[in-house]
Amino acid sequence: MSDVLIERPELDGLGQYEFGWSDPDVAGASARRGLSNEVVEDISRLKDEPDWMLQRRLNALKIFDRKPMPTWGADLSGIDFDNIKYFVRSTEKQASSWEELPEEIKNTYERLGIPEAERQRLVAGVAAQYESEVVYHQIREDLEEQGVLFLDTDTALKEHPEFFEEYFGTVIPSGDNKFAALNTAVWSGGSFVYVPPGVHVEIPLQAYFRINTENMGQFERTLIIADEGSYVHYIEGCTAPIYKSDSLHSAVVEIIVKKNARVRYTTIQNWSSNVYNLVTKRAVAHEGATMEWVDGNIGSKVTMKYPSIFLMGEHAKGETLSVAFAGPGQHQDAGAKMIHMAPYTSSNILSKSIARGGGRTGYRGEVRIDAKAHHSANTVNCDALLVDTISRSDTYPAIDIRVDDVQLGHEATVSRVSEEQLFYLQSRGIEEAEAMAMIVRGFIEPIARELPMEYALELNKLIEMSMEGSVG
Amino acid sequence: MTAPTTTAPGQHGFKEHSDGGWGLVPVQTRSERFTSTQHDQHPPVTGREQEWKLTPVDRIRELIDGELDGADYPIEHASVDGVTVEWIGRDDARIGRAGIPEERASANAWTNFAKALAITVSGEEPSRFKLDRSQLGDTPRAAHTVITAKPNSQALVLLQNTGDARLSENVEIVVEDGANLTVVTLQEWDDSAHHLASHFARIGRDATLRHIQVSLGGGVVRVNPSAHLAEQGANGELLGLYFADAGQHLEQRVFVHHDAPNTRSRVNYKGALNGEGARTVWVGDVLIARSAPGTDSYEQNRNLVLSDGTRADSIPNLEIETGQIEGAGHASTTGRFDDEQLFYLQSRGVPEDEARRLVVLGFLLEIVQQIGDAELEERLEALLEAEVAASGRA
Repeated sequence: MSDVLIERPELDGLGQYEFGWSDPDVAGASARRGLSNEVVEDISRLKDEPDWMLQRRLNALKIFDRKPMPTWGADLSGIDFDNIKYFVRSTEKQASSWEELPEEIKNTYERLGIPEAERQRLVAGVAAQYESEVVYHQIREDLEEQGVLFLDTDTALKEHPEFFEEYFGTVIPSGDNKFAALNTAVWSGGSFVYVPPGVHVEIPLQAYFRINTENMGQFERTLIIADEGSYVHYIEGCTAPIYKSDSLHSAVVEIIVKKNARVRYTTIQNWSSNVYNLVTKRAVAHEGATMEWVDGNIGSKVTMKYPSIFLMGEHAKGETLSVAFAGPGQHQDAGAKMIHMAPYTSSNILSKSIARGGGRTGYRGEVRIDAKAHHSANTVNCDALLVDTISRSDTYPAIDIRVDDVQLGHEATVSRVSEEQLFYLQSRGIEEAEAMAMIVRGFIEPIARELPMEYALELNKLIEMSMEGSVG
Repeated sequence: MTAPTTTAPGQHGFKEHSDGGWGLVPVQTRSERFTSTQHDQHPPVTGREQEWKLTPVDRIRELIDGELDGADYPIEHASVDGVTVEWIGRDDARIGRAGIPEERASANAWTNFAKALAITVSGEEPSRFKLDRSQLGDTPRAAHTVITAKPNSQALVLLQNTGDARLSENVEIVVEDGANLTVVTLQEWDDSAHHLASHFARIGRDATLRHIQVSLGGGVVRVNPSAHLAEQGANGELLGLYFADAGQHLEQRVFVHHDAPNTRSRVNYKGALNGEGARTVWVGDVLIARSAPGTDSYEQNRNLVLSDGTRADSIPNLEIETGQIEGAGHASTTGRFDDEQLFYLQSRGVPEDEARRLVVLGFLLEIVQQIGDAELEERLEALLEAEVAASGRA
């Protein structure tokens, strides 16, 4: 099922179709499908967790069972909860160095370019999630010296339980939504970051995730705490092999941005086109803090993801930049939420989406200015680009104002690539396909320029590949 | 779609549950909502539904589920050339041509009305027809109105609502080919009144409907206009103006359905809120179907917040199923009045109170001035002057 692209090693770089291979399914073979108290207890026991976490998981499972499926949003009826493996252990213990990793896992990462990135010291640390558990993890010495913690979440729970007792589930409680409950019940892996007061992490912290077992859910849990006056940029990139039946990815990301701290969280999501990507991401920004989500959705069958920021302290700032791309059979239901709870808070949302080949993109947002949040401001801009007659673009913003001293604006435009634009570029000697790609690149440029260079290049390349065949 | 579909019953996580909503595929397109004229075919309203979660359903429960008096009621109007008015029975062929209820309160009105009021415009010279409804009283009522503009006819129809009311109603507006119809619905109810209305408009080939909603008075007023641009070249302009005072809930859910080539729509709603508990809800859905290449669409909602203790919801939704469009967009702003304008006026020697009054009035009169009926515009200006003066801070 998987060898097509292994036979084409000339394809390098990152892309949805290039990553349509998988290693022989060793770890997943014995994992059970379906969900029960036993499965949850088993996960907790294998991880040797404290009892309170087990109780938290079991309680979340009850909530998951009780909560209805969302009555809005994408069609999720293709998810078969009984046919998913909720926990897969890929190696018995964490590898402490690159050499210790199994050969097939190393091969996977070499394709992803991780060792190179390490060698070039482009990344501050790499947490590679392979089949539900972090198997390779290295923190650069200078980070350790600064007191920065960058660990996989399982290890962090063992080594630094105090953070979890204080913060776990405080930003996104188990009962927040059905999929947050599911994640809380069966979570495994993910990243934990703690940045001490005043520390600026100069280079981005980076993590790659991969789904590798057919029908395997991936339920990573990420917790980031930026202490007062600190700064960190965390980058999450996702790729997944293509399988013949549907996969579920349901992560929870909680971020606490303390007084005057700043966190930027960048994701380029490129799951294979059979994955249901249902993710809850939320940050709280305290006094004077800044939170920024940079969110790219390229892959998956269905994505429902609305990164939120609760602006809890005076002068807190929030920003979300998102770009979504939907090709044939894809539905990107992405968006953003800004909840203003304190005076003098400001937020900004910029969303760009492109649908082609019958794909569907949507912006779904919520902006709320609470009664206490006087002198707050918010701007939302949504732009959609339509390149053919069979694709679909939706905009569902919701704006709720409960105080008078505010300024708030939402604007959306939907435009199509016009014959004139294409004709003009072609008259300058540019091939039609390249002309289309140029127009699309220009359209997403305001977001691409906010990405680290290698991500911007990757995004451009992905878009270019996805646009193939969309003209002529 | 006629009803939400159920998937894989009994599957873990999808099990049936008394909360409802299990295993349902959410409605993906605005035009695919469940419709029925029968009250009992619609699910009970809990107040948690997308459709109702911003509405104080407990205050209007009798209109959603109660028994309604569907008999004819007192109306006043002058006789106008080219316009006929008559009461018609439930089985009249004119009923059910423009739309079918999408929610339970609208269906309750449809199930309960006994007589419908038919207003038929046939004159090709512009005419003006005013219908007064001022004596509905506090009896819970169902009403049904059918406004038909015959091919190539022209008219302005004003529905003027005053006094007390407990009213759930449906208004069908059929604009036949080449007709040019303006419908103004003015809600100037007493504070005790509750009024739920669904306006269904079907706009024919090269026809134009201008639908103007003005809600200034009433305890709970929810008027939801929809315009189905059903034939080539249909044009819909939906304008609205609302001013919510303390304790008032004014809601409007607009739906424009582009369903034929080269159709055009403009939606522009402006609102002001003043006083503790003043509440407005504006939802604007625009669907550009695959059947509507060449669509030109824009909608906007602007809210002016004049005091603390208010809440304004603004939800402009846009669904686009074809790339062959001329243009589509929407905008929504909510804020306090423009300090720059205020500063400018003050710098020209206008006292602050007067400057505020001018800024607020200027904001609201933009809609009034598009009505195209001098007498009505003058009356509305006077009403708005009074509202602004009463708002104290203006």
